[in-house]
Amino acid sequence: VESVLRPAGAAPACLVVPVRTKKRFSVPEWARELSPEEKEKRLRSLGTVFPEERIERTFYLACTADIIDPYIPPEGDARLTSLSKDGLKQKVEKLKQTAVSQLAVRKVKDHDPDFSTKTFPEKAQEIFIEAHNCLANFNKQKLHSLVTERCYPEMVRGNRYKTIRWSFVESLEPPRVVHVRCDSIVNRGNLYGQVTVRMHTRQILAIYDRFGRLMYGGEQVAKDVLEYVVFERYLVNPYGAWRMHGKIVPEWAPPKEPIVK
Amino acid sequence: WLASSSLFPLSCIHTSTSLQKSGKWEKKNRIVYPPQLPGEPRRPAEIYHCRREIKYSKDKMWYLAKLIKGMSIDQALAQLEFNDKKGAKVIKEVLLEAQEIAVRNHNVEFKSNLHIAESMTGRGRYMKRIRYHGKGMFGIMKIVRCHYFVKLVEGPPPPPEPPRTGFDQAKEYVQQLRSRTLVNTL
Repeated sequence: VESVLRPAGAAPACLVVPVRTKKRFSVPEWARELSPEEKEKRLRSLGTVFPEERIERTFYLACTADIIDPYIPPEGDARLTSLSKDGLKQKVEKLKQTAVSQLAVRKVKDHDPDFSTKTFPEKAQEIFIEAHNCLANFNKQKLHSLVTERCYPEMVRGNRYKTIRWSFVESLEPPRVVHVRCDSIVNRGNLYGQVTVRMHTRQILAIYDRFGRLMYGGEQVAKDVLEYVVFERYLVNPYGAWRMHGKIVPEWAPPKEPIVK
Repeated sequence: WLASSSLFPLSCIHTSTSLQKSGKWEKKNRIVYPPQLPGEPRRPAEIYHCRREIKYSKDKMWYLAKLIKGMSIDQALAQLEFNDKKGAKVIKEVLLEAQEIAVRNHNVEFKSNLHIAESMTGRGRYMKRIRYHGKGMFGIMKIVRCHYFVKLVEGPPPPPEPPRTGFDQAKEYVQQLRSRTLVNTL
């Protein structure tokens, strides 16, 4: 490295250390009023090279952030029978909603020919049971493959120092597909499919806190649970899988405050 | 925007350092006990809390820690509020924080149901500085810091041990005399 104080001939060969003094910038008067293009021209003529620095980090969206067009479950779903007047009204409303769902089903079948509204609910229930078993055993890797990234923190928050025991007793009604939506985010054609499955099941849940004391639920108490679970899949990806995305809480049945023991 | 691994190959990749060295007392809050069977007595909750590098002497702080040792948390807070020492304010903040943590994270039902099982002080990092005296003389001054550790346990405070009376001592002496045996004989 040459400088004015040390011409190349006088410096000894072993002491070539790239030491730089403090750069003091002063722009001469004739150069102050130039526009940026003229400045660039001058710099290019001097022969300085700018390295191309564009470090881009790609990120991969594997799931949507929210449930598209959430399914509004009819009032008193599990409490009314289909023989009363209210039950018939509910069925009529259900038929109206299926038009959009049919379109979505057709779109999903384009990308995934194996999908069918009859076989899917069983698979969905299996995924549901396996995901909850993984939660109980803290098997994080498997849980990530069964549950989307949006649902994972909701399931796992606050559970690090607690022991959860969950078991599935039986299913009171066969699960069925209620609602299908297909949507693309960011670009057109970036399709994600969401399917809502209605499940009426009996489950046992017991949560113990850090010291092994029972916090919620009980090991011998089986509760009837009516749930609307949303499953999602990244359709454009040929290796995508259906994963649990979230649950829909109907307005007429808000989650009650759990009784802490 | 720049990624964490920077442009030049010589600079290091690990650019973030941890903010806090995790001490043993903080790790005690992470143990999880297996669930209890329904017949067993309920295990009392234990909450460990500490504050590091308090600008106070550990010996002076020890007096306050010893004051608090067996008390219930309400009594301890009351005593500290009307104590004139500087460490009293700090310990009071620590106790209130610990109470908050207990109620929020560790499933403690009543915040007054806690008592102080252990309270200890430890030496923090000392710094040495020069203290200027007259006539050009100097002394090396230590800037002193301490840590304060507290363990809160759920439940009423244990009853204090009755002091040892002369009668107890006499009983023990007689017991010792009676338990003598003859060694190496028939």
